[in-house]
Amino acid sequence: MRVGIPKGLLFYRYHKFYISFFQGLGVEVVLSPDTNKDILNEGVRYCVDEACVPMKIFHGHCAHLKDKCDFIFIPRIMKLYENEYICPKFCGLVEMVQNSIPDMPQIISEPIYADSLKSLKKWAFKVGFKFTKNILVINKAFNTALKEQSGHIGGLNDKEFRIKVALIGHPYNLYDSYINMSLVEKLNKLGIGVITEEHIGTSYINKEAEKLFKKPFWTFARNSYGFGAYMAENKLADGIIYASSFACGIDSVVVDLIKHRIEDFPFLELKIDEQTGEAGFVTRLEAFTDMLKRKEAEAI
Amino acid sequence: MKVTFPQLGNTYFAVKAIFDDIGIEYILPPVSNKTCLEIGSKISPEEMCFPFKIMMGAYIQSIEKGADTIILPGSCGPCRYGEYCELQMNILKKLGYRIKFIVIDAPGSIGKDEFLNRIAEIGKYSRKTRNQKIMAVLKGYKIINLIDELERKARLISGCEINKGECKRLLRECKKEALSTSGSKEMIEVLMDYREKLGNVKLDSYRKPIKIAIIGEIYTILEPFSNQYIEDKLMDMGISTQKTLTPSWWVKNTVLLPFKLNSIDIRRASKKYLPLYIGGHSRECVGEAVLAYKNGFDGAIQILPMGCMPEIVSKSILPTISSDKNFPIMTLVVDEMTGEAGFDTRVEAFVDLLERRRDKNVLYGY
Repeated sequence: MRVGIPKGLLFYRYHKFYISFFQGLGVEVVLSPDTNKDILNEGVRYCVDEACVPMKIFHGHCAHLKDKCDFIFIPRIMKLYENEYICPKFCGLVEMVQNSIPDMPQIISEPIYADSLKSLKKWAFKVGFKFTKNILVINKAFNTALKEQSGHIGGLNDKEFRIKVALIGHPYNLYDSYINMSLVEKLNKLGIGVITEEHIGTSYINKEAEKLFKKPFWTFARNSYGFGAYMAENKLADGIIYASSFACGIDSVVVDLIKHRIEDFPFLELKIDEQTGEAGFVTRLEAFTDMLKRKEAEAI
Repeated sequence: MKVTFPQLGNTYFAVKAIFDDIGIEYILPPVSNKTCLEIGSKISPEEMCFPFKIMMGAYIQSIEKGADTIILPGSCGPCRYGEYCELQMNILKKLGYRIKFIVIDAPGSIGKDEFLNRIAEIGKYSRKTRNQKIMAVLKGYKIINLIDELERKARLISGCEINKGECKRLLRECKKEALSTSGSKEMIEVLMDYREKLGNVKLDSYRKPIKIAIIGEIYTILEPFSNQYIEDKLMDMGISTQKTLTPSWWVKNTVLLPFKLNSIDIRRASKKYLPLYIGGHSRECVGEAVLAYKNGFDGAIQILPMGCMPEIVSKSILPTISSDKNFPIMTLVVDEMTGEAGFDTRVEAFVDLLERRRDKNVLYGY
C-alpha cells in the first residue's frame, strides 16, 4: 500500500506530522519531488486559471503522483486554531483536485479540524481505519507524529548578518525555493539575514493582532500581521519583505493592514506568480538591500 | 447623525423604509455607477476584490453628500468580506474623512452583548418606541420579500410576455416609484400595486423561452452594474432568468442557520460535489447549478469577481457537473477592466448555443 503526499502548500510546515503518521500506520510513503518546471507546467495545465500559483503547483504535484501510489493524501485543513479559518481554497482543495485532474487514485480527504486535540485524533482514527484495524497502532502513530511535529520549529533566523529583514509570507511561498526563486539564498548572498515568524513568541504576535478593530479570522493573517507589526514596532529588523502570491486574497488584506500600521518602515512586497521573471525580481531585491545598507551607513 | 450603507441589490428599499419609519436621517447610497468604480479603484488596494472597490466609491459619494456614519454588516467567514470593515476604516481615515463605522457582526463571534450594543447605537438616534422599531424592522422584511418576489417573477415571465419589454418596464417603474415614497406603509402599497400589475401581464402560454439560472458570487449577481446588466440584457433577448441568491434568501438563510434548517434543497443537491461549507457562497453556487438542471433550465451562467476565493473552488467543480449532466454552464469573471463588448459577445454566443441545443431552428424562444 503506497500513500502519496504532494509536496505543496502546508507540507512545508507539517511534513513531519504527515510523514511519520503514515509511516507509523505501516504504509509506504511516496513523496513528490521538489517543485520544478515540469510540475509547475502540469499544474498550470490542470488547475483553474484564476487560482494562485501555490494552488497550481499543488495540482502539479498531485498530477505527478497520480500513477505512483494507491492513495493520495490531500490535507483538507479546515481549521488550525479555534475560531479561525484558513483560506477557503484549502477547504475546497480536494474538490478542486478531484474535478480538475482526471483518473486520480483514491483520495484521503477527511477534513482536518486541528483546533483541538480531540478532533484531530478523530481525524487520525478515521484515516487510520482505512489501513489498519488495530487501534493501538493508530494511536501510537498519531502520538509519535505529534511528537515529531512539536519538535520541529522550522523557520529561519540568521544571526551572522549585520542587516536583517523580517521575511513574511505563507510557508509555501517562503520555503519552496522554486516558487520564490531561492529568495533566501539570494538575500544571504547580498549580505542580508532573514528572520521568520516562527522565531517570535506567539504571545507577542497575538498581542499585536488584538490591537486591530477586528481580530483577523485567518490564521495566516493573524501570524503575518502580528509578526510584521511586532518587528517594526520594536525595530527588531531593518526592513520587511513580504513574499505574496499573485491573486492571494488573504495577502491583499494583510499587506494593506501592515502597510497602514508600520507607516514609513522599509517594506518590500514581492509578487510571485508563474510568470515572474528572475531579472526583475533580482533588481527589486538589490534596490531594496541598497536602500537598507545606505540607511545603516547614514545612521553610523 | 446621517447614516449610509453599502448598496446591495434590492436591500436599499427595505433599509430606506426602516429608516424612514424610525426617523433616522440617512443618505441613500448612489446606484452603482462608473464614477463609483473609478473613485473606488483609485483608493483601494489593487488586489482587493471588485465589490470592495465599488463600495468604497459609493461611500465617498455618499460622504460628499453629508453622510457621517456607515453601517456595514460584517461576517466572520473565511471569505474576505469579513475584513472589509478594517480596511475601509483605514482607507477613509487616511483620506482624512472622520467617519464612524457601525459594524454589525454575527452575534456568535463578537458576543451577544456587543451585538446588542451595536444595534442600540443605531437605535439611539431614533425617538420612536421599541415596539415601533421592531414593527419597522418586520415591515422592512416584508418589503424585501415583496420586491425580491416581484423581481423574480418579472425576470421569469419576461420570456413569455406578448408585449415585448412590458415586464422590464414594470420593474423599472416599480423601483422608481418605490424610491419616491416615504415610510414602509406607502412602499408596501406601491409594491402590492405592482404585484397586481405584474400578475395581469399578458402571457403567451405556448411559448417556451430559454431559461438560464444566474449563479455565483452574491454581490456580482445582485448588483446589476457589476455584472454589466446581464439580466436586463437577457430579458431584452426574451430569455427567462432566475437567481436564488437574493437579499430575502440571505435573511432567511441567516436566521435559519443556527438551527441547521437553511437551504436544505441546496445542501442536498450539492452533497455529491461539495459536501462542506467552505465560506462565501461556493456551496450554494454548486447546489444551484444542480438544482437548475433538475428544474429544467437550459443553462447556467456563473458570475464571479476576479480573485474571489470561494468561487474559484466552485468554478473548478462546475465543469464536472456540466459534463455529468450534459448541462451547459458558462463562467464570467468580472472586474474593473471588464469590457462591455467582449462580455456581450460571450453572453450572446452562449445563448445561441442553448438555442441550437433545442435543435429547432427558432429565434430566441419563438
